[in-house]
Amino acid sequence: MKYSYYPGCAQHGTAVDYRMSVEAVFRRLGIELEEIKNWNCCGALHVDDMTTRVALSARTLAAGKGLDVATPCNLCYSNLMRANTALEDTSLKNRVNGALASKYDGDAKPKHLLEVIVKDMGLPKLSEHVKHQLKIKAVPYYGCLLTRPENKFDSPENPKSLDNLILALGAEPVKYYYKTKCCGGPILITNEGLALELAKDLLVMAKETGADCMVVTCPMCHLQLDAKQKAVEAKFNIKIDMPIIYFTQLMGLAMGIAPKELGLDKHLVPTDKFIAKAGR
Amino acid sequence: MQKENIVPESRDNAFRDLIIKTPGGRNIPTCMQCGICAGSCPVNHEMDYTPRELVRMIQLGLKKEVLSSNTIWICTTCFSCSVRCPRGIYPTELMETLKPIAMSEGIRNRNAKFDNVFADVIKKNGRASEFLLISKYSISEPGMIKQAPFGLALFSKGKLPLSIDKMEDVRELDAIFKLGEKSVDKEAKESTVAKESKETAPERSPKENEGQEAEK
Repeated sequence: MKYSYYPGCAQHGTAVDYRMSVEAVFRRLGIELEEIKNWNCCGALHVDDMTTRVALSARTLAAGKGLDVATPCNLCYSNLMRANTALEDTSLKNRVNGALASKYDGDAKPKHLLEVIVKDMGLPKLSEHVKHQLKIKAVPYYGCLLTRPENKFDSPENPKSLDNLILALGAEPVKYYYKTKCCGGPILITNEGLALELAKDLLVMAKETGADCMVVTCPMCHLQLDAKQKAVEAKFNIKIDMPIIYFTQLMGLAMGIAPKELGLDKHLVPTDKFIAKAGR
Repeated sequence: MQKENIVPESRDNAFRDLIIKTPGGRNIPTCMQCGICAGSCPVNHEMDYTPRELVRMIQLGLKKEVLSSNTIWICTTCFSCSVRCPRGIYPTELMETLKPIAMSEGIRNRNAKFDNVFADVIKKNGRASEFLLISKYSISEPGMIKQAPFGLALFSKGKLPLSIDKMEDVRELDAIFKLGEKSVDKEAKESTVAKESKETAPERSPKENEGQEAEK
């Protein structure tokens, strides 16, 4: 299995732990991720001109060179998916292609890494790599942009793919009614008060399930729920202490990879107790 | 909220028609005010108009009220409303459509500032380095200094590199960003600005639009 790989900007900064776990896990699974040369930012949710934002993703998809384009980030994924849909409009496609050196032809399919694991590789195959059944309870948290607005990979209302992945690792996915509610990440910089309110709701509800960790698929969600967890605790005078684990880190633990290689020491919420409980 | 009567003079049909022509506004005439968008919105309690109200206001052509509402900027782009709308209206895309139009109408707030900084960084470097973004944004938002301990915590974990992440070759970006100059949002700018200058609309002070965030 081979994909063009579009890491997205966060992998070079706040999501260095995600990057480490992706590299460690995918190498062992034998899935090749060939990084796109000279890749550009997708514009996240902040390049407001939509033609420009579509063109940024069109350039990425055009660089896929016949391979599907895999990405670890929900924001990148959603922009790539939306661009693909927007570019069905031929006049927009022609205009965008006028600005691109390599032309977009619509052949490359964007795929989130979770989709690569759950759909393309399949969970039975993953089970072959599992060395430790993780005897923990985990909150499957999908966030917004993995399944919205394009609901091609999983249900936008009640997705199951991450639940199933957690099960395949021997852990128990808890019932969590907030699994696709917004974490507030996109407004963190400009409206922190409101962003922390949203994160608080997610964290309090996660805590109430009795889970040992929350599993995420997006660097923005991780920043919001892990790095900002202390700020949430301070603002609302509550104790949360909930480890936020990338799904690739959870896979890595079950595959017997050392926590350090998975970047688990780089979280702001300590992960030691969680790692011990997970049997590592 | 105090409700005001809608007078014919506050209605701008050109604005309504312009929005309806965009991909985000296409289905607006079919809205039946069911309110599932408002009910699905995680931040509706902070908005001065819910998405449902905003859609109705566009149908009525209430340009000034629409463009100066905080709704456009409070939206977290979660798309919950969009996947539920029985009429296929994508309120999230509508907010995205309205942002550049509001900015071209002189709306300035934290979100507009941050988006401008973000777009500038991408246009120049092709990638977003968190440290560069925050430093540039902090120049116009001195309150960001309160985030210094947070930045330090990230830095100590190796999560906030001070070096600037950059594409090896940024030449294509100019052409990509030029596309925006020709897009519908700019057409909107031309038509609405021309109209407003005729009407000599009252100037909105930047401060008026900054009150949307609870002070930290």
